[in-house]
Amino acid sequence: MSGLNFNYQNILNGQGFELAFAGMIIVFSALSLVSIFIALLPRCLVFVNRWVPEVHHHSAPKARAKAPTAANEAEIAAAIGYVLHNRAGGPA
Amino acid sequence: MSILLDFLKTTGAANMEPGNLLMILIGMLFISLAIRKDYEPLLLLPIGFGCIVGNIPPIAGMSVGVYDAGSVLSYIYFGVSQGIFPPLIFLGIGAMTDFSTMLSNPRLVLLGAAAQLGIFLTLIGALYLGFTPAEAGAIGIIGGADGPTAIFLSAKLAPHLLGSIAIAAYSYMALVPVIQPPIMKLLTTKEERLIRMKAPREVSQREKIIFPIAAFLICALIAPGAIVLIGMLFFGNLLKESTVTERLADTARHGLIDIVTILLGFSVGCSTQAQTFLSPESLLIFALGATAFAVATACGVLAAKFMNLFIKDKINPLIGAAGVSAVPDSARVVQMVGQKEDPQNFLLMHAMAPNVAGVIGSAVAAGILWSVLVG
Repeated sequence: MSGLNFNYQNILNGQGFELAFAGMIIVFSALSLVSIFIALLPRCLVFVNRWVPEVHHHSAPKARAKAPTAANEAEIAAAIGYVLHNRAGGPA
Repeated sequence: MSILLDFLKTTGAANMEPGNLLMILIGMLFISLAIRKDYEPLLLLPIGFGCIVGNIPPIAGMSVGVYDAGSVLSYIYFGVSQGIFPPLIFLGIGAMTDFSTMLSNPRLVLLGAAAQLGIFLTLIGALYLGFTPAEAGAIGIIGGADGPTAIFLSAKLAPHLLGSIAIAAYSYMALVPVIQPPIMKLLTTKEERLIRMKAPREVSQREKIIFPIAAFLICALIAPGAIVLIGMLFFGNLLKESTVTERLADTARHGLIDIVTILLGFSVGCSTQAQTFLSPESLLIFALGATAFAVATACGVLAAKFMNLFIKDKINPLIGAAGVSAVPDSARVVQMVGQKEDPQNFLLMHAMAPNVAGVIGSAVAAGILWSVLVG
């Protein structure tokens, strides 16, 4: 910027209207095509799924191991008690 | 004694100018807004502290400031000035974005396109005020309400305005809850704000995996200038949706984006030295930025109203305001304004569709402006 110079001619010199019009057309075209693609995708997938069924990946995120809680602490204690009882020769 | 006197001459206090003091106060204001008002704290706090750091007057002959070759700050700022940080942030955004609501209601993508009108109208305004076409393009992108995109484009088209444009973009993004509601209320009737939208359909995993690849090809083939931003956005999303690269997606959306945000925010703040930042151009950029934001919001709302003339399942026009990107704040504002009319109306999910479409739209617009105005 070479200084404040408010002038309508600046817009014409910089091809402002052409640039804005072309820019909006391109943005709308791109996003309209994306929109159309999204709308058609489920229909295409109906056919694709017949030939290549959707699979669940083996390395999908796994649930983390749960930390002992009040509820399963009792179960763990019971299991340990059962093992110790068997080792001590108690009745099965 | 002479050493002490010489040292005192080199202190920051001795060289402080009123402009530096003003910028330090602005930095403190940003920190205050981040902490007290919770306005974009992840960005305003690093930028605010950076403003304070960047406005301590440097000592002549010492390489300390962000514009001094070889200084530590200049190396950090390199990521901003060369447009490296914004695509990395886009990678993280892609890895945390769920496109499901957009995939379930594709017509809402058009609201994201309509809101980009603010970019191009602001460009015309900037040209009128005497900015060069390249500068006008960089200023106009503030209307996209997307900080990384604004930084990326101004680094390419008008590096000398980068500080002002970045601060304006992030300031207005932080002020989304203040700027948008009055415009949304002004342009809608109570009946329109009460419209309830259909629940989105369930989207299959295969759709989510195909979408980033196909959408990238569509956007990049139309606007190759957007390859870097769009490519990283969709690459991040593919890392997330493929489910086989969860570790990479996790790093992109947590560790990586946090590191880059810290470096970007802080170095942008440091670049606001009063001697280069305080100028009439900066004031004009702030005025144009506010206009861009308001126009983009209005265009999104009006586009939704226009679409309602032709469709059976009406769209709540409030969600058009989310087309200005500013993820996810503008979607939250839609939810807030909608619930003021009807506390049982949940618009957040629907608003996320134009919101993420706006991110794509502003990146495409940046690509177009870069390819047309560069050189």
